[in-house]
Amino acid sequence: MITITGLRKRFGHFQALDGVELTVPKGEIFGFVGPNGAGKTTTIRILATLTRADAGRAIVGGIPVGEDPAAVRALIGYMPDFFGVYDRLTSEEYLEFYAACHGVPRRRRRVVAKELLELVELGDRAKFQVDTLSRGQKQRLCLARALVHDPSVLLLDEPASGLDPRARVEMRELVKELSRMGKTILISSHILPELEELCTWVGFIDRGRMAAVGPMSQVRDRATTGRRLRVVLSSVDPEWLQQVAGQMTSIAGVVRAEVAGDHLEVAVGEHTEDHVLLAELVKAGLPVRAFAPIEGDLSEAFLSLTGDGQP
Amino acid sequence: MKQFWLRFVRGLDNPIVVREGISRMRTWRAPLAITLYLGLLGAFGYAVFAVGVISSQISQTTQSATTLGAVTFDSMSVFELVLVLLFAPALAAGAISGERERQTFDSLLVSKVSAFGIVWGKLIASLAYILLLVVSAIPLFAFVLIFGSIEPDQILITQALIVVTAFTVGSVALFWSALYRRTLAATVSAYGSAFALYGLSAAVGYLLTYINNIRYQNASASLPPDLGIHPLVYGNPFTAFFTLLVPQGPTFGGSIHLGRLVQLLVLDGRPVSQWGPAITSWQLSLYTQGALALLCVFGAVMLVRGRRALPLRRVAVKGS
Repeated sequence: MITITGLRKRFGHFQALDGVELTVPKGEIFGFVGPNGAGKTTTIRILATLTRADAGRAIVGGIPVGEDPAAVRALIGYMPDFFGVYDRLTSEEYLEFYAACHGVPRRRRRVVAKELLELVELGDRAKFQVDTLSRGQKQRLCLARALVHDPSVLLLDEPASGLDPRARVEMRELVKELSRMGKTILISSHILPELEELCTWVGFIDRGRMAAVGPMSQVRDRATTGRRLRVVLSSVDPEWLQQVAGQMTSIAGVVRAEVAGDHLEVAVGEHTEDHVLLAELVKAGLPVRAFAPIEGDLSEAFLSLTGDGQP
Repeated sequence: MKQFWLRFVRGLDNPIVVREGISRMRTWRAPLAITLYLGLLGAFGYAVFAVGVISSQISQTTQSATTLGAVTFDSMSVFELVLVLLFAPALAAGAISGERERQTFDSLLVSKVSAFGIVWGKLIASLAYILLLVVSAIPLFAFVLIFGSIEPDQILITQALIVVTAFTVGSVALFWSALYRRTLAATVSAYGSAFALYGLSAAVGYLLTYINNIRYQNASASLPPDLGIHPLVYGNPFTAFFTLLVPQGPTFGGSIHLGRLVQLLVLDGRPVSQWGPAITSWQLSLYTQGALALLCVFGAVMLVRGRRALPLRRVAVKGS
């Protein structure tokens, strides 16, 4: 649904994008991750037809952004990282205004506004003036605004920034609901655990270049080389654990074993079977209380793939 | 041409006009501004009328009611023009820069509304309010009309001049608003431009007129009747007001041929050209202001289009 190839953008002496390449398949939720200044907002603004790239190609729904921006605008719903609202308009009027701006027929505007307010759970705030809403409610209203023309692609730039935990959860659920409605969603965020739960695809950008792009599990696995296991033994004595860790490397299939607080983290070979290894540990006389694989997380993958970058 | 009219009609059914109208009229500032405007205009008209009555009593001369009415109408019209010059820049200067400051501009740019639609909507919304002020002042003028002596065409043309002046000042302010990111800079530039267009240009025009007169007197030439009027003065709406309201005035009466206007513009006085149509002061004022307004609207549209397709580099935002 979105294809970007060789995208470059320079602001003065600052190379914001340096050959960005990414693909977002139809219906996926794409997490766009990167530190401040990495190029996320610039990429999203190019897709939103607000910034023109110096070189490269961005295609949304088969339409090149630079060639037919008006057609692209009809396909996308854009929620900027910073946005304002108009004072002295009610939530309903606010959405009706944007519906009019997007060419929704006059007779449909109120219906669309009502439906969207219900979708973002602001139905009871329809007659409230926008400037009286909380930040979380304004964020949801802004998301509803991006949906007034029923776009097939959503570009959400840091939609959860500045929200309290409850509002973040509400926003996350909303994005999931939109995905169920068949929207393709590109979402940038600094809150990686949330993206991990939400996104099906992920792209890491650092200093204007893509460090990794692909399905979430694939990128995570690529970043966290080898598999790891969490082994809890009957004793938590650090000296004894250290001693056991040293002995474990002699067991077939174990690459490395380290003490991690009150348990051991064991790196194993790609082809090592978990049940075989467990049997080996028990056979070696180790009092195993718990034994489970460790899932690599997005933060770890991000740090691994972008060096010292901080999301 | 058909396309233009289609756009014009669509422009009137513009969501921005509706939204601005709702937002503007919901604030307490709207009725306050109308009250202030009418209060100032009414107080000024009453003061002129009262001074006229008192002065005729003191000098023990009989001033006819028609003269008193005419003087009051003239003064109020000029005062209304001054008020419009003060109000219009304030209303239009924040139209586009305000959208940027509120961070709502991007949301407009990714919508279907064209750059022309945005600029036109903003202009119409600002002028609609000015128009409301002008229309709300009609009862005050109607009060003066009961004294007679004011012709209907004088009323129509003075009101047209006021509206066109508001349109011009609003367009200039809108251009600055599209150019600058900050409303303060746009407002200062808008007032500066209004001063240059309606005050400074007239002062320069009078200076050039004076220079022209000196040159002719030195050449001992007979002065043509319109010699004293440089086009910068002749096209000024205040001058246009005087020619309308004091049509028998010694200096500004009648009309000037286009060829002669060009001559005067470049300070070339002889022989007096009779080329082209004869133009009155109010006509020249309407034409030049209309042209300037259209130029500014065009400039503003180009600037807004540029923000969408070819954004300036300083538009780069956080996270870039």
